[in-house]
Amino acid sequence: MKQITIILEGFGSTLLLLVRSLSYLPSLPRQRARFIEQCYMIGYTTLPIVAILSFFIGSVLALQAGYAMQNFGAKQFIGSLVGLSMARELGPVMVAILLAGRVGSAITAELASMKVYQEIDALVTMNIPPARMLVMPRLAAVLVMVPVLAIIADLVGWFGGAIVAKYVSFISIEPEGYFSVLRRYMKFGEDVAGGLIKAEIFGFGVVLVCCNIGLNTRGGPREIGAAVTRAVVVSLILILVLDYFVTKALM
Amino acid sequence: MNNLQQTARVGLFFLLGLALTWVTFETLSGGKLFKNKGYTLIAGFESLKELKDGDEVRMAGVKIGVVEKTRLAGRRAEAVLRIDPGTKIANDATASIVMAGLIGTNYIGIDLGSEGSPPLADGAEIKTKVTPDINTIMTEIGNLGQKLEGALSSFGTTINGDGKGGGLFQKLDKLVTENSEKVGATMTNLQEITTKLNKGEGTIGRLINDPTLHDQLVAAVSEIQATAAQAKTFVADAQGIIAQVKSGKGALGTLVYDETAADNLRSTVANLRSVSDKLAKGEGTLGKLINDDTLYISAQSTIKKADRALDGLGDSGPITAVGIVANSLF
Amino acid sequence: MASSTGHTRNPFTEVETPAVGVKLEGLTKSFGDHVVLDNITLSVEPGEIFVLMGPSGSGKSVLLKHIVGLEAPTSGRVLVDGHDATSGETREKVRMAMVFQAGALFNSLTVYDNLALYPREHRVADEAGIKDKVMRALQILSLEDAAKKFPSELSGGMKKRVAIARALVMEPQLMMYDEPTSELDPVMSATISEIIASLKDEYHVTTLVVSHDRELALNIAERVGILMDGKLIFLGKPDELRQPKDEQVAAFLYPKIDLKHPRYKKLET
Repeated sequence: MKQITIILEGFGSTLLLLVRSLSYLPSLPRQRARFIEQCYMIGYTTLPIVAILSFFIGSVLALQAGYAMQNFGAKQFIGSLVGLSMARELGPVMVAILLAGRVGSAITAELASMKVYQEIDALVTMNIPPARMLVMPRLAAVLVMVPVLAIIADLVGWFGGAIVAKYVSFISIEPEGYFSVLRRYMKFGEDVAGGLIKAEIFGFGVVLVCCNIGLNTRGGPREIGAAVTRAVVVSLILILVLDYFVTKALM
Repeated sequence: MNNLQQTARVGLFFLLGLALTWVTFETLSGGKLFKNKGYTLIAGFESLKELKDGDEVRMAGVKIGVVEKTRLAGRRAEAVLRIDPGTKIANDATASIVMAGLIGTNYIGIDLGSEGSPPLADGAEIKTKVTPDINTIMTEIGNLGQKLEGALSSFGTTINGDGKGGGLFQKLDKLVTENSEKVGATMTNLQEITTKLNKGEGTIGRLINDPTLHDQLVAAVSEIQATAAQAKTFVADAQGIIAQVKSGKGALGTLVYDETAADNLRSTVANLRSVSDKLAKGEGTLGKLINDDTLYISAQSTIKKADRALDGLGDSGPITAVGIVANSLF
Repeated sequence: MASSTGHTRNPFTEVETPAVGVKLEGLTKSFGDHVVLDNITLSVEPGEIFVLMGPSGSGKSVLLKHIVGLEAPTSGRVLVDGHDATSGETREKVRMAMVFQAGALFNSLTVYDNLALYPREHRVADEAGIKDKVMRALQILSLEDAAKKFPSELSGGMKKRVAIARALVMEPQLMMYDEPTSELDPVMSATISEIIASLKDEYHVTTLVVSHDRELALNIAERVGILMDGKLIFLGKPDELRQPKDEQVAAFLYPKIDLKHPRYKKLET
């Protein structure tokens, strides 16, 4: 019973934070510097790890698909398999998970320590709503940066798959063939854009949830660590639950 | 790091994202951004089969456009083709849906049409023709399979018997057991004959060991193979023949189902033995043929004539029958 | 000590704004079954310096949070200049500044940016005007050298002064201090007390100090309240505290260190 109350409270406070943050959207031009800083944190500094991970995910996909498909002679379709899986599912989910681990945890840690050391209270007494100064720029930044990360993840993953398809002896598919199949079975609107929308929703959800958990931290410094753990766990659950519903809605 | 540098990096990063998205969009949707480039043609089909938006339009194998849209229009399916500017398509050119692979990779192929005919205008309708796709071919093969099965099953009952009087093989078995001695001697003689043949002795020996003659034979055989296309009609004929054989009509029928005929066969085999004895000793015409090579030259010219005759025969009945046998052998 | 004029003088622009009063009417706050504040009625007059004393955990800080609007009362009302403190609009109408116990400086910003945050967010001046204000505030508290430092590079006393400077930049009508002298050595405590008093003298800002520092209360307060176990057990002039009649108050203000009968042993039974 208590658990249910906690979960519902989490939902409620998250939605409330969302509404409040959105109401401060007009102040974004004034907070340009903060917005840029968050863009830098969320987008630019996350790029290397996104690139490395998506490269290897694309490679492994091609490898596994090639291994499984050589038995029934369908390995020329590896291009479309890697392309579709990366764009529709793995790219967005991977970007969101990295975001939760790398950016979400940092956001929660920062906001939780601000809360614990009364910096949030200080902001409130200064009549500066935390939702305006701390949450809204982050949400705006994640909306702008996540599609960029996701499209890079998609493309790097495709190239990873293409390289494996060419150089692994039991697959040996030339990049031309790989990409022509990929192009033939993919549509930008449904597959790539759909994936970007998914990534957008996940990223937004992750940042919102992490902000909320950070701002609602209570107690001493020990709670900061607990809040970070909670934020990452909740983010991961959120991503996979949202994944099902968003995917279904986009079909 | 100062703010300007950070802003520049974020800006650059965002532009990179936009560029990549645009490139992906261009590649996957086949340049739909330039929607107004080129002109459209409409191709109506009974069924578009596996054709979908974005598939290629090729003329004589060269890509000249894409399938922009597929839609239902009344009682037919229409594909709207976006043709690259500068490509002219003759108004008597025909479009067809071509399979590029076994599984669902199609494109629209347009032939060149006749020279000098005026080009099609924007929005015009192009003539189409239906080409068999994998499904119709599969259906045809299925039908053929059913026919073959019917033919083979009646053939089977002929060979194995239908429960009374024993089948063809049982009768043949009886025949061979009864005459095993005679057959044995015949075989010995035949062995002698083949040894001679092998050494190139006699006309048939020369015939077998001479390469030029072999080439001619091969040519003859390939002609025979060409006639194999008539197989289907033969299968039907064969079914009829087998029916006749079963009812005891015709020579083979008599042979299999008539006891007196079997007696005749037995004496024939006895005669065959004496003939082969004579052959071995070089007696008689055939004996000479085997043991003497004077006839070789004339045999060679005869085969050449036969070759020419085959050329002329085309697909007349008997050759068709031979053709199917030859086809099954080679 | 100058008496209140009924108006707050702005430290920067010399514009006078009316000082505000605070009224607590039957304020009760409980967390679950635990009653932290029990039916407290109290008023702080405009322009006065009021010190609220009490042992740790008596609910002093919670009371302050009610005034700033960080906590909502379980029952009763808190009025700041006649407006309900729980309403967000009150913070728009009345400029309140609070100096937190640990300073609550923004660790990611330099001292200068900490001070400049409020005027920047509320766009009270252009960047040059903000710089002028911030430097003046730093000057008042002799912190000019610390402008470019980060809070983590400052000593405890400096942090408190920076926090006071940050509050000052807000040109407040009501200043609140939460344990301004805790964790400081006696000299630094005295310095902070002097700063609080002189700021009040100079600008006539209503000042509410929460502390258990006896010297501070006796020296700078105009009125003193003592809170114990959520109840207000004393309200009066600081002079009355020099020889307190109430046993409880005396035990709190002038505890005897008796090694033969230590208090912690009594607590055990």
